[in-house]
Amino acid sequence: MKAIRLGNKIVRTLVRDRMYYPDRLIVDTFGIIVRCGVLLVLYWYVFSLNDGMINNTTYIVAAWSMFFYFAFSVFRLRDISRAIMQDVQSGNVEILFSKPVSYLSYRMWWQVGAGLYPFLVISLVGTIALALIVGLPATMSVGIFIPTVVLVVFLGTLLSLFLYAVVGLLAFWIEDINPVFWIVDKTVMILGGSYLPVALFPDFMYKIALWSPFGASQFITHTVYETWATEWVMKIGIQVFWVLVVAIIVSVLFAKAREKVSVNGG
Amino acid sequence: MNSDSIIVSNLSKRFSFPVKNPSAGWVKNLFAPETKEINAVDDISFSVKSGERVAFIGPNGAGKSTTIKMLTGILFPTSGKANVLGLDPSKDRKKLAYQIGTVFGQRSQLLPNLPLTDSLEFFGVMYDLTDKQIKARVAELVDLFDMGSFINQPIRKLSLGQRMRAEVAASLIHKPKIIFLDEPTIGLDVVAKKSLRDLLLKINKEENTTIFLTSHDVGDIESLCDRTIVINHGVLIKDLPTRELSQVFVREKNIDITPETTFDEFPELPEGINYGAKDKNKITVVVDINKIGVQEALRKLLDLFKVDDVDVYDTDLETVIRNIYESNPTRQ
Repeated sequence: MKAIRLGNKIVRTLVRDRMYYPDRLIVDTFGIIVRCGVLLVLYWYVFSLNDGMINNTTYIVAAWSMFFYFAFSVFRLRDISRAIMQDVQSGNVEILFSKPVSYLSYRMWWQVGAGLYPFLVISLVGTIALALIVGLPATMSVGIFIPTVVLVVFLGTLLSLFLYAVVGLLAFWIEDINPVFWIVDKTVMILGGSYLPVALFPDFMYKIALWSPFGASQFITHTVYETWATEWVMKIGIQVFWVLVVAIIVSVLFAKAREKVSVNGG
Repeated sequence: MNSDSIIVSNLSKRFSFPVKNPSAGWVKNLFAPETKEINAVDDISFSVKSGERVAFIGPNGAGKSTTIKMLTGILFPTSGKANVLGLDPSKDRKKLAYQIGTVFGQRSQLLPNLPLTDSLEFFGVMYDLTDKQIKARVAELVDLFDMGSFINQPIRKLSLGQRMRAEVAASLIHKPKIIFLDEPTIGLDVVAKKSLRDLLLKINKEENTTIFLTSHDVGDIESLCDRTIVINHGVLIKDLPTRELSQVFVREKNIDITPETTFDEFPELPEGINYGAKDKNKITVVVDINKIGVQEALRKLLDLFKVDDVDVYDTDLETVIRNIYESNPTRQ
């Protein structure tokens, strides 16, 4: 109960903080428009060269899949890696260790709070804009769509936080986690469908995207595919499996990291 | 008689880290590096009573902060035991955190972009206070720390003195029984230092909060703490009332000599006496009392100079502390 109250306080405080500084939201929105917009134009051109359909996927589906990826990336959950690294490098970790909170859950709430406002705003505005520009894919009219999207976003959030927390915790041993972060982040981007929608992947890569935790953290991009109505149970099951496995890895790693702590100074 | 808040028995902390061996290959350095060990804290024992104000001092790298971090559950000791308010900090970190406050002078715990009031409320929630309790305690702290003029300003816009008051206030939101302060006055001007010291004395008196402080500032030690523990190279070398610090460690006396007219020459001084300052209107000599007694020194000085006035006084606390730091550590 206390953890929820604290989490709620962190999220509300940070959302208010983000609202004080709308310039950050404008920068985020501009970034999304540029990156996602350019890709959408390119895909529109490529799809139009192929009569509007590639590998049984329409342009509308590809566009929404890509938009979901970028909207979710605005959440910036991956920043938890660098936040942990900075805590370790600066010694700030000691301040949080002296408080009656779990360091990791505090950091996770913090990350959610920091990204929630831009995520919600960009998702809402982007959804309206994309619906007007390219239309809605058929799966969005199925009753199961909204509840499963909410569930997938929730599980994807947990899995992303855990995955990137593992990377961040490595800072207790190697201090500079940037090379590891780069590998993990690019893997998530590729398997999540940042460059190419997963539906267009060759079979072996699709299987990696489906069965790896990196791809599973971005299953939000799968929700617009026509197969979603028949595959959502399996995909949510995969997410739950990886959430549990990576959570165990995080907690074991954190317990080791606590013993390893040697903060600067003294 | 007050009960013990802190009991430390034979506490040690050893850090080991890999060191590169230039003569070994990179494979050996990577997979089987040589390690170096440092005894940051070496078998120290002491206790602190509830409501005491204790200065825990030593030069840089003496082991002060490491000790505080073990007492607050941040670091795990290599050996020995620490008991803070009946709890083992390494096992009961969260339970203990509800009863202690920490201020690290070189790090901020406040939320930089938000008004101070948000940080205080945030910590109130962290310490599981009800909304009503938070409101009442924030009002109390704002009044006590005179923060009304800047309570609604973002932290990053506060002066360093205001920020440090806010840091201490935030660490007191849950009325801790002990407050650990690691160099709380670092970087503050004299006015801000005095203000912070007065506040700490006030909360010690009004709320019986135990104060455990590390500082390089002699003013903090003299004006705040009635007891001083000295640590050097990880070894506890002295634990005594602050007022006795000068008496126990004094190795020198200063003598100011005012001439009848003016000093025209400065003759060589006997062994054990050295010039501290030479001026035609006043000279100061430093007497090493291990080599020559004050009475003997005065007699010899009166033979050398025609004097109008003589003033004998102890070395200031800062010099005393420097002497302690420069001496080889000898376990108390």
